[in-house]
Amino acid sequence: MLISAFLFAMFAGIAIGCSLGVIFHRNPVHCALMLVGVLLSVSGLFILLNASFLAALQVLVYAGAIMVLFLFVLMLLNLKGENPLLTRGAAKGFGILFAIVVFVELLWTVLSPQVEAGSMGAVPTVPRGFGSPAAIGRVLYTVWLYPFEITSILLLIAVIGAVVLAKRKFG
Amino acid sequence: MDTAFLIESVIKVHIVLGFVLLVVPFIVWMERKVLGHMQDRIGPERVGPFGLLQTIADGIKLFMKEDLVPAQADKAVFILAPGITVVTALIATTVIPWGDTVTLFGRTIPLHIADVNVALLFVLATTSMGVYGVVLGGWASNSKYPLLGGLRSSAQMISYELAQGISLVSVVLLAGTLSLAQIARQQAHMWYVVPQFFGFAIYVISGIAETNRAPFDLPEAETELVAGFHTEYSSMKWAFYFLGEYANMMVVSGVAITVFLGGWNGPVLPGPVWFLIKLTAFLFFFIWLRATFPRLRYDQLMAFGWKVLLPASILNLVVTAIVVAL
Repeated sequence: MLISAFLFAMFAGIAIGCSLGVIFHRNPVHCALMLVGVLLSVSGLFILLNASFLAALQVLVYAGAIMVLFLFVLMLLNLKGENPLLTRGAAKGFGILFAIVVFVELLWTVLSPQVEAGSMGAVPTVPRGFGSPAAIGRVLYTVWLYPFEITSILLLIAVIGAVVLAKRKFG
Repeated sequence: MDTAFLIESVIKVHIVLGFVLLVVPFIVWMERKVLGHMQDRIGPERVGPFGLLQTIADGIKLFMKEDLVPAQADKAVFILAPGITVVTALIATTVIPWGDTVTLFGRTIPLHIADVNVALLFVLATTSMGVYGVVLGGWASNSKYPLLGGLRSSAQMISYELAQGISLVSVVLLAGTLSLAQIARQQAHMWYVVPQFFGFAIYVISGIAETNRAPFDLPEAETELVAGFHTEYSSMKWAFYFLGEYANMMVVSGVAITVFLGGWNGPVLPGPVWFLIKLTAFLFFFIWLRATFPRLRYDQLMAFGWKVLLPASILNLVVTAIVVAL
């Protein structure tokens, strides 16, 4: 128990530190690297929650593939002085607005009655095989079949769209 | 998580990582020696018997050399990048089973550090992180050739990762598990290379591309890119890239042996000995390829990855799925 508490503190600390780094670093490539750090530490948290499949996919898909492409673009564009999208005042306004929205949302979740009855009281026991690829696959292909299939069609459309956009330049 | 388990794990970590790190100089020696003989030369022979200590001497030389960091480089990332390459490769070795269980002092000890139930995905995830070492090293050097080399190799590694992953999935379909130890255990009677020969071929080709070895060593094509992503690296940082490349070769071979070539299974001799024999044979194969094939052109390489290997691996997966379902 002590070890997992220590690991939780470590991963959570790294995640928070890196998230701050994402926001405060000037260099876009450093920001992207910090984001990789966040993704890795969150996957560590997934492992602590018995979701090792999810953790592996998080590293494989997000940290290993998507962020590499992000880095690719950042390096090729070689952004030096970034032009801000919004004026300083507008950015501050949006920031405060989103912070309030997130705060209210979190408050809502914490204060809602289900949470009080469930996880705040007795910790629910983890069912056998929880988080294993087999269990996740079973749930995906039974309970969440339609959302799953719709997502895959959406991704297919995105892929075709990317091909069409990339081709247009030459044709 | 009891204390005995913790102690056991710590000991195993030291043994496995120590072994991997110590054996790399001898793989380099083997490479130079084998390449030499294949090219009708003798290879290293001056330092130690049969030149065995040559790479140790080279290692000491690299330690002593001046550690250069280019003035315009991004210093933090420049230092971090070679470390990423080595660390990701070493992490991947922790889930490779070197043998079945042994009983010591009344404890049954499995011969791999971590028994992760998603071990295969774990290996793919860590090796996919290895791309960062190359791409960041190229970028942080802040110079033309390293950047081009870094971008090239990351494109190559991402492309070939797909075919590699899919070729492994077809074995997972047969085995019904992602645990490397269990996959190896199931091959006591028949190796998966027999029903999955195409999968094996695809895995080996993409594995060579993944480790940036000849004939896929485009990132360091010296005729066009000087030395690719590690042009600006010297001394121990350069040695780290070298170490990472060889550790990655061991990971790729280890996974190929465990998944396709029966793992530690073999007659008479104990498991770890068989594993080492197969590992040596595989590394020899890597070197043999390097001596045999010329380097591919970059567009050929990408076209081959996307238009031949990936469709072939998907076809293999579909056929395997149909056979398993029947």
